[in-house]
Amino acid sequence: MKKVININFQGRVVPIEETAYELLKQYIESLRKYFAFEEGRDEIINDIEGRIAELFSERLKNGANCITDADVNAVIAGMGRPEDFDPQEPEAATAGARDTGAHTTSTSWTTGNVPGRGSLYRNADDKIVGGVCSGLANYLRIDPVIMRILFVVFFGVLFWVYILLWIIVPSKSVSSSITKRLYRNPDQKVLGGVCGGLAAYFNMEVWIPRLIFALPFLFAIISSGFSPFWDWDFGFVPNIVSGSFGGSMFMIYIVLWIAVPVANTAAEKLEMRGQKVDLDSIRQAINKDLQNVKARTEKWGTELKETAENLGQRASEQAKVFTAQAGPAVRRSSNGLGHAIGVIIKAFLIFIFAIVAITLFGVLIGLLFGGIALAPLKDFVLEGSFQNSLVWLTLFLFFGTPLIALITWGVRRIMGVRSKRHFLGFAFVALWLAGLICASMLFYKVAGNYRRVASLDEEPISITQPDSILNVTTSSPDWKKYDRLRWMGFGDDDDWDWGFDSINQDSIMLSTVRISMVKSNDSDYHVYRVRSSRGRNMQEATNTASTINFDVTQNDSTIFLPKGFFITKKSKFRNQRVWMVMEIPVGKKISFSKNISGYNWITVNYDRHRFNIDNFDDDDDYYHNDEFNDERETSSLYRPIPGRTYLMKEDGRPERVND
Amino acid sequence: MNIDNTQSQMRKGILEFCILSIIRRGEAYPSDIVEEMKAANLQIFEGTLYPLLTRLKNATMLTYRWVESSSGPPRKYFSLTPTGEGFYKELEATWFELANAVNALTSKKEVFSTTINQEESNFQQDESSEPPVNN
Repeated sequence: MKKVININFQGRVVPIEETAYELLKQYIESLRKYFAFEEGRDEIINDIEGRIAELFSERLKNGANCITDADVNAVIAGMGRPEDFDPQEPEAATAGARDTGAHTTSTSWTTGNVPGRGSLYRNADDKIVGGVCSGLANYLRIDPVIMRILFVVFFGVLFWVYILLWIIVPSKSVSSSITKRLYRNPDQKVLGGVCGGLAAYFNMEVWIPRLIFALPFLFAIISSGFSPFWDWDFGFVPNIVSGSFGGSMFMIYIVLWIAVPVANTAAEKLEMRGQKVDLDSIRQAINKDLQNVKARTEKWGTELKETAENLGQRASEQAKVFTAQAGPAVRRSSNGLGHAIGVIIKAFLIFIFAIVAITLFGVLIGLLFGGIALAPLKDFVLEGSFQNSLVWLTLFLFFGTPLIALITWGVRRIMGVRSKRHFLGFAFVALWLAGLICASMLFYKVAGNYRRVASLDEEPISITQPDSILNVTTSSPDWKKYDRLRWMGFGDDDDWDWGFDSINQDSIMLSTVRISMVKSNDSDYHVYRVRSSRGRNMQEATNTASTINFDVTQNDSTIFLPKGFFITKKSKFRNQRVWMVMEIPVGKKISFSKNISGYNWITVNYDRHRFNIDNFDDDDDYYHNDEFNDERETSSLYRPIPGRTYLMKEDGRPERVND
Repeated sequence: MNIDNTQSQMRKGILEFCILSIIRRGEAYPSDIVEEMKAANLQIFEGTLYPLLTRLKNATMLTYRWVESSSGPPRKYFSLTPTGEGFYKELEATWFELANAVNALTSKKEVFSTTINQEESNFQQDESSEPPVNN
C-alpha cells in the first residue's frame, strides 16, 4: 500500500505514488545538473517534462489509476539518464537564448535549492522506522546512515530520545541535501567492503581502517602466544585492549556491514567519495570501473580480452537500462532483513575460519618460542654439532616457516596486496618440507642414542644393622634450585614436576630413583643399588651408567639417600636411573619418610613404545621390572609409599603399620 | 585508444544532419523524430534530442509551433526555416563528400563517380532516400 499524491505537472493534475514522485524528482534534478550550463536549459527541461507528461497521460488513459514506480522507471529508461546522453558542446555561434513562445513553467512542484539548515523535521522519504535519524542527519548535514549507526550503538540511551523525537517532530518530505554518503565499497572489499567504504568516505588509505579493525585481534593473538611464558604484571591492560576492544570492534564491523548500503551504481560510488555527481565525474567513474575490469581480464589472453570487452560493453549498456529501472528499488531493499541474515551467516563462517587460523598461529608461536626456551636443555640430549645444527634447522624451518607464511598472508590480506605469482607460496612449502626432513632426521638420530639400555649389576651397600627399624629418608639438599627454568613454567609445582632440578647450567639433577622392598633371606637388612642408563650401544650405556653418583650415608638407624644424581652436559641425559632394593628381615620394620615422594620415575621404553611418569604418590604398590636385566622376581618387589612404615611378614609382603 | 570516444565522435558529427533531414520532410515533433531514427537503426535518447533541437532553434535553423492535443499537454512541432534549409544543404554536400571518400578508401570500387561534382543532380534525387552507406 503506497501513498499517492497529486502533482501539478505541466499544467495537468497527475496522481502519482509518493515514491514514484521521488524518483521523478531525482531524475529531473539530475537533468538540471546535467544541463546546468546549457543555453536554454529551462526550455530543454520543459520539453523533456512535456514529453514525460505525455507519456503519463497515455498510461492514465489506458486505465492506470496513478503513476507508479514502474511507470516512472520505464519513462526514465526511455528518455535516458544523463550519463547516457551523447556529449555535446554548446555552439560558439549561438546567440543569446531566446525564450520564444508561451509555455507554462513547471516550477510548481520542483523545490528550489534547500535553504540553509531550516528547522528540524522527520524525513518522510528516507525512513526505516520513523525517519528520525534521517531527518536529524539532514538537519545536521551528515549521512543518515551514520546517524542510524549511532542510534543503534547507543541504543539504551538514545532509545527514549528516538521515541521522543518521533512523537514531537513533524514529518515532512524533504529533499536530501547531502552529497557525501557512507557506502560500502564493492570494489575494495575483503569481507564486506566496510573498511573500503570508510576509507572512501573519510578520504584515507584503505589499510588504515583495516588495521584499526584487525589490530585488537592481532594483539590478542600475540599476547596469548606469549602468556604461557610470562605473567602480565599489569594484567588489566591487555584485557581491555585485546578482550573487550577486540570484541567491540568486531561488533562494530558487523553493525556497519548490515546497516551501510553498498554502492552499486556509478552515481552512488561518486556519492561515496563525496564527488560532484555530474556528467564528467560519472563518466570518469564508469571508465575507471571498466578499466578495473579490463585489468583483471588481461591475463586471459588477447582473444578472450577482446571478447570480454565487447561483451562487457554490450552488457554495461544493458545493465544501465536495467539499473535505471531496478537501481532505486534495489537500493531501498538492500537494508532488508533477508540481506542482514545472509550477512550474519557469512560473517559467522568467516569468524570460525578466523578462529582456526588464529589458533594455528598461536600454537606455532608457542612451539617456536618453546623450542627456543628449551635451548639450554638441548645440550643434555644432543650429541655433536650435527645434531645441534639439526635442531636449529628444524625449529626454524618446521615451526617457523608456517608461522612466517601465516603472518605474511595475514598482512597481505589486510593491505589488500595480491601477488601475481605464487612464488612465495612455493618457497614456503619447500622450506617447510626441508624442515620436515630435518625433524625426522633429528628424531632418528636422537632416538638412536637411546637404543640400548644397560644396567650395572647390583652393588651392595654396606650398612650397620639397626635394631628393629630402618628409616629411609633423603638427605637435605645443599644446593639451590636453578630458578631460571621457572619462567618457562617448569618449577616446583606439585602436580607438574618434570623430574629434574638444576643447580647450574652445566648439570642437571635427576631424581629418577625407585625404591623397592623385599624380604630378606636372613635376619639382616640389606641394601642394594642398581644403576642403569641407555646409550647407542651396550658399551656406551654401561659407561654412562657407571658415572651415576648416588652414595648412601647412614646415621644410626637412618640411612640417607641423595635427593638425586647429577648428569652433566658431558655425560648427557640418557634416561639414567637408580634402583634401590631394600631387603628387610621378617619381623622387622622399615619406614620411609615423606621426602621420598620427590623421586620420579620416567620410563622410556623404546622398543615397546611406552612412556610414563610415575610418582610415588599413587597407591599402586606393584610395578613392572622390564627395563632391568635383573634376576629378581617381579612379584616379590614392593614399592613403598612415602610416610609409611612397614613390617615384613613371613610371606614376604610388607604390612603397613602405624607409627 | 578509447573506442567509445571515436564512436561517439562519429555519431556526434551526423546527428544534426539526420535530424534536419527528418524535419525537412515535414513538420515533426520530437517523439516522432526519435521513432524515425529508431526505425532507421540510429538510436537516440530524448535527452540528447531536446538540447539539440533547442540549440538549432536558438540558431534559427528551426522553428516550431504549439499544437494542442487531447491526450496530454501541447506539443511542439518543428519545421525547417530557410536558414535551416541552407544549413542542411551544406551538410548534405559534406556528407556526400565524406561518404564517397570513406567508401572509396574502404573498398576498391568507386561509387558516385559521375554525380558527385554536380550540386543540381543532388537536388533532383529522390528526397526520401539517403545515399547508401557501405558498412
